[in-house]
Amino acid sequence: MQGHKVFNLKPSNYSAMDNQSFTLSKKLVTISMVMVAIGIVSLAYGYFAGLGPGRIAANILLNSFYFLGIALVGLFFVAVHAIAESGWQVSVQRIGEAMSSFIPVAGILLLLLFGLGGMSALYEWTHEEHLDAILLKKVAYLNVPFFMIRFVIYFAGWILLAHLIKKTSRKLDQHGDMFYFNRLRMLSAIFIVFYAITSVTSSWDWLMSIDAHWFSTLYGWYVFSSMLASGIAVLIIILIALKNMGYMTHVNPEHVHDLGKYLFGFSIFWAYLWFSQYMLIWYANIPEETIYFYTRLKYFDNIFFLNLILNLVVPLFILMTRNSKRMFSVLLPVSIIVFIGHWIDMYQIIMPGVVGKEAGIGLLEIGLTIGFIGLFSLVIFYSLSKAPLVPKNHPFYKESIKYHTNY
Amino acid sequence: MNKFITAYYNDEEDLLKGIKMMKSNGVEPLDVLTPFPVHGLDKALGLKRSRLTRVAFVGGVVGGLVGFFFQAWVFTKAYPLNFGGKPFFAVPSFMPVTFEMTVLFAAFAMVIAFFVHNKLGPGAKPVIHDERVTDDRFLLVFDIWEKDEKEVSNIQMALTNAGAQGIQLKA
Amino acid sequence: MYVSPIREPLIRGNKNYSQVTKDILSPMAGKPSKYWYMGIALAGAAALMGAWASYETVFNGIGTWGLNKTIGWAWDITNFVWWVGIGHAGTFISAILLLFRQKWRTSINRSAEAMTLIAIACAGFFPLIHMGRLLLGFFIFPYPNTRDLWVNFNSPLLWDVFAISTYFAVSLIFWYVGLIPDIGTVRDKATNKIRKAIYGFLSFGWTGSARHWSRHETISLVLAGLAAPLVLSVHTIVSFDFATSVIPGWHTTIFPPYFVSGAIFSGFAMVLTLLIVARKALHLEDYITVNHIESMNKIIILTGSIVGIAYLTEFFMAWYSGVEYETYAFFNRAFGPYAWAYWIMMTCNVITPQLFWFKKIRTSLVATFIISIFVNIGMWFERFVIVVTSLHRDYLPSSWTMYKPTLVEVGLYVGTLGLFFTLFLLFIRVFPVIAIAEVKSVLKSSGENQKHAHHE
Repeated sequence: MQGHKVFNLKPSNYSAMDNQSFTLSKKLVTISMVMVAIGIVSLAYGYFAGLGPGRIAANILLNSFYFLGIALVGLFFVAVHAIAESGWQVSVQRIGEAMSSFIPVAGILLLLLFGLGGMSALYEWTHEEHLDAILLKKVAYLNVPFFMIRFVIYFAGWILLAHLIKKTSRKLDQHGDMFYFNRLRMLSAIFIVFYAITSVTSSWDWLMSIDAHWFSTLYGWYVFSSMLASGIAVLIIILIALKNMGYMTHVNPEHVHDLGKYLFGFSIFWAYLWFSQYMLIWYANIPEETIYFYTRLKYFDNIFFLNLILNLVVPLFILMTRNSKRMFSVLLPVSIIVFIGHWIDMYQIIMPGVVGKEAGIGLLEIGLTIGFIGLFSLVIFYSLSKAPLVPKNHPFYKESIKYHTNY
Repeated sequence: MNKFITAYYNDEEDLLKGIKMMKSNGVEPLDVLTPFPVHGLDKALGLKRSRLTRVAFVGGVVGGLVGFFFQAWVFTKAYPLNFGGKPFFAVPSFMPVTFEMTVLFAAFAMVIAFFVHNKLGPGAKPVIHDERVTDDRFLLVFDIWEKDEKEVSNIQMALTNAGAQGIQLKA
Repeated sequence: MYVSPIREPLIRGNKNYSQVTKDILSPMAGKPSKYWYMGIALAGAAALMGAWASYETVFNGIGTWGLNKTIGWAWDITNFVWWVGIGHAGTFISAILLLFRQKWRTSINRSAEAMTLIAIACAGFFPLIHMGRLLLGFFIFPYPNTRDLWVNFNSPLLWDVFAISTYFAVSLIFWYVGLIPDIGTVRDKATNKIRKAIYGFLSFGWTGSARHWSRHETISLVLAGLAAPLVLSVHTIVSFDFATSVIPGWHTTIFPPYFVSGAIFSGFAMVLTLLIVARKALHLEDYITVNHIESMNKIIILTGSIVGIAYLTEFFMAWYSGVEYETYAFFNRAFGPYAWAYWIMMTCNVITPQLFWFKKIRTSLVATFIISIFVNIGMWFERFVIVVTSLHRDYLPSSWTMYKPTLVEVGLYVGTLGLFFTLFLLFIRVFPVIAIAEVKSVLKSSGENQKHAHHE
């Protein structure tokens, strides 16, 4: 501990324009509200058109989990850089913090879903009177009370840590004090340990238990890698949106380049885990495992290959060159494609188990996703308006602004 | 034999300033020798970004295609054998070797191109202008083979003005 | 490049460029110390034991090993995987830390890469010797032959051949390309004519031209970009050796990332073991500082924790799957006849590295040295547990059996340890152990005296 040493970095020297705070424009609120309305309408459509509780519940789960994952990656982005003591990300750190404010919203939505009868539509193992021999073995883990206890633990931990990390980060910004710097590092370490365990177990609980007989040890990390790629894609999209609105002028091509490298790298990492899981199950050819891919290849073959094209082939070939990672005109479409791609990934994780071969992408799926995008952007941009966009007193702020590398 | 003028700096920041000053006097060095890659030197000398990355890309594509189609040929045409009920054209099985071949070819193509392009290699006989270049000196080299005396003295003047040390004329 | 004043310096003491050259070249100059001779005598003796064991294996056959009807793989594959794992730190440091621009890597990458190459050579020895007929070792490569046969591209063991040889080749050129400028320095500092000629030849005519540096930086970066997925692929493919099978305890999808993490974990432990001794013996404390050790310890916590989570995931999933063979395999690991090996693994890999959460322990050289040895032992036992406990009791209880290594097998292992240390000691004398040019390039931004000059 270096004590309460205050640094004297004189932020005003660097750029007068950095002193910006984001104001939520009426237009943005209106657009988001319209999107949320579309979501509600399509949910109502799904109900009245008789698409069945399975499909509706699956859609709510898909979107809640997808955006929850993105929100958690926002926090993970802040935390992992805090403990790695890297400097460049300080310029975009606020976006990650803002993303994490969606965590409680996703928590409420999932709680409503599970509380209002979604569980029996989603999870075969909740039908306690019809359990077969294999599911009976799993009752110690797959039972409703324990499921809800875990649910509460996950969200309590995430919300609490997100709150503390955000608070400390803002304090650090106000005071530029080493005390807060060290505390941020400590909180980040706690979050990462907690998240490392809960990201795995929560994906077992909410996603893997849909196919209750099936199991895969890699599953949690696979879902995590999917979240990572989509989270970074969303971070880039928000950054570009802010830039287009005239904010974030301190972000230079070097920062964008690094985010582009993350998107490229995490897409490959996702593909690596996808391949590891698929190849091992394909190779060993044990029936209780291959059933998972059998249904996906038989009834969801388009989705199955689309998943690989959008999430691997597109980022791999387009983002390979240096220039494409530095240009918004390339990075934005790729980020949007990856964002859609991992939605598709979640779709092929959830739908085959819940809805089966009748699943499809119709008005409900598209409308509800638009609604979630609206809700997400409402929460994120509201949160962004609550704190200065630039953490000027962060000890690595100057490092981040003066950031330049040869590559 | 070529003729050179050499001069050195002891610090990379002085070197960058010196190069800037000399460029404004219209004197361009033939080469700059440094003990380590100096940040900003590429820009000061106007060096273009290397295109060796393209060689790596082409090498990787060739390696990947060779790796994949060779395996496919062996298993579907040359010697189809049933291994554990797998299909002959077993794409997931081909991936590891395809990947390794891609990396191998990309890396070797690029490194070989690097050596050839720079004329570096075992037995290369470089002109060592100053043995402390690989230690702590930042050396400027000027080619004066086709230059008359006036131009030579111009270069020397410019070097003195730009604060360079140890200006030497080498025949 | 601007570096925040709150960062600790990476190079201690009042150094200028010329001092850096002198310090780093000093271990190569003059006569070796008596510790060096003692070290090489000890390592050479161990290597001789390996030579004896190899002789026994080749001339009397694999029967001299302790293998039996179900345990056809034990000691040799354990050692193979252990060595390959150790060979992961060097390229991880050079490639992945370069991509993540961790400057602290500049002081340790050279020796870690050398260690990688030596470790891969030690690893390669085991598959070769287990073939029995060494001269026919080339059969593993696909080449046109009169029998019209090709290798089996469906076999993970063949993927290993490609992965390990590609990894060795690419690591070698990566290491050598980085070494060339420093060999140039050795050449220019040499006073002896023969020495100058040899290093002149090895330096490939390096002059330090700005153009060459520019391209050198580009290819180093691209090589790093290629080597990063390569590192992941190598241990992934090693894990496929087990995971593509249907043996309980082997066939599990988490193996690829978990093996990679374990490999980096053990590799860093070995780097720490070596460097804590080397920095002292070679008087390089100003370059390999406690700060560097601390950074490596953080990677040990990270990878160790990932490995820990993977153990728990496997254990949980063995029960959750409801497959009785899988459940039994894990029960047998923890409470069967090889439980001692399992608990050594658990203690060394999961518990001891967690001590690094305390800054006091993380920055203590003695503690780090001891824990790094624990991790080396733990990771050896991890492979032993995976290989032997899964094989000694599989589907047919009538075939259940036990395994015990023979002296010949132990001799082979000791032999590779001897080879490893012999080659490392030779490396210290022949090439600079720290990347001179790379250290100089961060001296201004991260050197102690320079930091003072800039900020006070």
